[in-house]
Amino acid sequence: MARYGMALDYKNCINCRACEVACKEENGVELGAEKHRIWVGSNNPDGEWPNLSLSSAVFLPSQCQHCEEAPCQEVCPTNATYYNDDGIVLVDSDKCILCTYCMNACPYDARYVDERTMTVDKCTFCSDTRLARGETTTACQATCPTKVRTFGDLDDPNSEISQLLENREHFSLKAHLGTKPKLFYLR
Amino acid sequence: MQVEISRRKFLQGSVALSIVGGTAVSTTSLLSGEQEEHHTLPENITTKTGTGKAENIPFLCGICVNKCAGFARVENGVITKLNPNPYFPKSRNMLCPRGNAGIQTTYDPDRLKYPLIRIGERGDGKYKRVSWDEAYEAILNGTDKFKGIKHILDEEKDNRATIGYCNGEGLSKEGFEVLVGEKIGSPNYVDEISICLETTLGAYVNTIGTYGEADLNNADYLIIAGANRAEAIITPDTMDMFKRTQRRGLKTIVLDPRFTNTAAKADRWYAVNPGTDLAFVLALTYVVMNEALYDKDFVTKHGVGFEEYKNHILSHKYTPEWAEKITNIPAKEIYKTAREFMAAEHPIYYQGRRSVFSKNDFQLRRAMAIFQALSGNLDKKGGIIYGQKLALPKEEVNSPMYAQVKDRFDKDGIAIPAQKTGSWIVFRNMVLEGKAPYPIRAMFMRKHNPLAGVPNTAKTVEFLKKMDLNVMIDILPSDTAMYADVILPEASYLERTSPVASYGFLEPAIVQRRAAIKPLFETKVPEQIYKELAEKLSKPLWEITKKYDEDVQDDLKGKSKEEEEKYYKANGFDLADAWEKPVEEANKERVAKAFGEKAWKTLEEKGVFYPEMEKYHKQLNPNEFQYYPDNKKYYTTRKDALKVVFNFKNLTKKGVDAMPTWYDKWNFSVPDGQFRLVTGRHAQFTQSGTTNNMMLRDLIPTNYIWINSRVASQRGIKFGDVVEVKSSVGKITIKAYPTEKIAPNQIFMLHGFGGSSEKMEMAYGNGGNDAAIIEDKIEPVYGAAVMHETNVEIRKV
Repeated sequence: MARYGMALDYKNCINCRACEVACKEENGVELGAEKHRIWVGSNNPDGEWPNLSLSSAVFLPSQCQHCEEAPCQEVCPTNATYYNDDGIVLVDSDKCILCTYCMNACPYDARYVDERTMTVDKCTFCSDTRLARGETTTACQATCPTKVRTFGDLDDPNSEISQLLENREHFSLKAHLGTKPKLFYLR
Repeated sequence: MQVEISRRKFLQGSVALSIVGGTAVSTTSLLSGEQEEHHTLPENITTKTGTGKAENIPFLCGICVNKCAGFARVENGVITKLNPNPYFPKSRNMLCPRGNAGIQTTYDPDRLKYPLIRIGERGDGKYKRVSWDEAYEAILNGTDKFKGIKHILDEEKDNRATIGYCNGEGLSKEGFEVLVGEKIGSPNYVDEISICLETTLGAYVNTIGTYGEADLNNADYLIIAGANRAEAIITPDTMDMFKRTQRRGLKTIVLDPRFTNTAAKADRWYAVNPGTDLAFVLALTYVVMNEALYDKDFVTKHGVGFEEYKNHILSHKYTPEWAEKITNIPAKEIYKTAREFMAAEHPIYYQGRRSVFSKNDFQLRRAMAIFQALSGNLDKKGGIIYGQKLALPKEEVNSPMYAQVKDRFDKDGIAIPAQKTGSWIVFRNMVLEGKAPYPIRAMFMRKHNPLAGVPNTAKTVEFLKKMDLNVMIDILPSDTAMYADVILPEASYLERTSPVASYGFLEPAIVQRRAAIKPLFETKVPEQIYKELAEKLSKPLWEITKKYDEDVQDDLKGKSKEEEEKYYKANGFDLADAWEKPVEEANKERVAKAFGEKAWKTLEEKGVFYPEMEKYHKQLNPNEFQYYPDNKKYYTTRKDALKVVFNFKNLTKKGVDAMPTWYDKWNFSVPDGQFRLVTGRHAQFTQSGTTNNMMLRDLIPTNYIWINSRVASQRGIKFGDVVEVKSSVGKITIKAYPTEKIAPNQIFMLHGFGGSSEKMEMAYGNGGNDAAIIEDKIEPVYGAAVMHETNVEIRKV
């Protein structure tokens, strides 16, 4: 049993989206521009050419935050969305009735409809692929050119992620909602 | 239950089943769903990796020029995932989006699957499927639609120079050069270099003795101009750089006409006018000379002509105030940058690595290399390093001598013509304009798409139509392939073992690409194709040589049949003798000879080898590895031999300035109502080679024309509107992307889109092809294509 989370050194991100492709290939994610478990949020810089604000152009990798108080899980009428033993939020596609309550409830827009199964799909932290084979990294972490991501067990004080969170300033997205996300952005 | 479209259905349901003609081919197109027994195709387009048995085969990525290393996960004969290889110091345990999506190149339903012979007109895409032998036979003897090489060389009296050839970058390129250049004997070769970074390589080598490698792990100040490492990923530069930008150790100054993802990571971004970087560097140099900020000991010890250069810069008064008007960069920013650069401990003016921008590009790169040298930050940690390379035994080629072969001619308007690789534009245009001293009658092409890469596509089409024979070896039915008479389908890089390669600089290593799966359909590895084609051509072409080559005739006088056969073999006229061993065997021999049997084992297993690897290589954290300990890295290798050529006097003999000099004709200006066209790359695409990749198309569906949002609004152009972009050489239609990330008098588009081959379903007609509108201008030193000197008009359609 572990409590898995991910730390993101997001300033390293160059918006290349290697993570998105690695995720799709690893996990057999449905093809399509709108079908992705992870993505990179980006925005245009403020200002007018040539006076643009560099600091306003930010790349923010995102995905399911694997909240400890996950709103998606709370609203699911069939218990299709559940926490596994390692605290990973998953969807049991056999139970999913595509009511999409979870998609509306998720404050991070982390869910989409897999039109092959007609159920809701999302990041699994590679639990049924890489972790199931005993690997210790997710596909997105392993491939990242600038090494943005560190995945690991938050309950293990010696894990790299625990060390990073111990020693670096960090923040969570929409922390005020009380969802207790397990993705941590390093400053 | 999954209701995914199975790949088999996808193949059969594909829309472009348009091959017509020969009886056997009514439904057998490039896209046929027919499969041979041994071909295992994935069931789905994206295949979830399993938890059962799998092989992990080390491969070297072939989706761009970088050659990153990875492991291919193969389950039941299907490649299900490509993972980064943690042993290769160059690619540092990563794969970019394109590297990950390489699977989709191998399993691209539009792939060339069988040899094809043209049965329609050039460009109309009508081919018939033939056997390999029929294809080779057609190259030798032609068909009723085109002539064979035998006929051509007979008519040209064995002048092998009438056969032109081209090949884009890659590990099997050298073999193709051996086949057509050394063995068949043509000097008329053009490749990607004259449409790429020729001036940069040439200027750096001639100025500081190397193009070098920027040690971005240890640098503390970086000027990166016209290079976009966040989007045009280069290993290891991209990975090293962005871990340290944004006030984390590497102060970064970006010059680019548009606001790139690299600019977004910078401390400062200067929207330099296109083609005026040289004025910026000259002004930086002026400040450094005027204020004596340079490393005096270093320039005294290593410089050639330093005082002359100093006088040159000061007497021309290349002041920041002067440069401000030319570059659009404020003078005070130039002063600040020059002073900061020289005050930094490890400053780097990044060499850049892309195509030639403007006609002054050679002098720009000279000025950059010199400016770097003024800091003294060469051949040391945190600077531009020379490094080391692990030597592999060279493979000898027995090259025949042909008396009738004429010299290459593409030298019009070029000061220093490249003997081996020539100039694409000058070569093509001289042939088209009838200026060549003898005809070019055939083009042998491989892994190269000049219709999308060489400026002025209309001329390239005309050039190819002029040929009596066009042959293409490739993976996909590219725009250029549609002008070939014979198409030979090659195995993709995941299906072949390639000649072993050595990568040098700071942490040198030997790498090998191993085939992850067998070649699909009837495709073959390139070296096998070279060998078989050579076998087919060898004797018939030998007969032509005997008929016209007086040297050979003299040598053969009075010789018996057996003696003649001996002569033929001894003098390299047996064209196939360069491929006696399969690639795997040749690799093993070379590696074992240089580094021993154990090295070979390591290479086979890990894909990478370097001396002391077992001792040096270790994991530092979940993401990072040590390849060489710091004290074993090749930071300093040149030492006293290091030479910096400030004043390159010999250049004047060729009509080239000995020292970088600005001319007013290079000032940036755009006529009213027009725009300067700027092109570039993106992290999700490698030029035209990846535009049919389904996975990458999800990331970038098409290319857009970037136009300043205020200008767009004046013209009533909104996001997604289709506009016509017209230059003096052509026009394209493309969707608009209004943005403040570009100047009001400039437009930008991604290179590589706008495919014209109907056989590539995803790429066909999608977006615009920049080569169709870029004017075919060259810079005067090497004859390299200049990409940013075309003005265009835009109109909403």
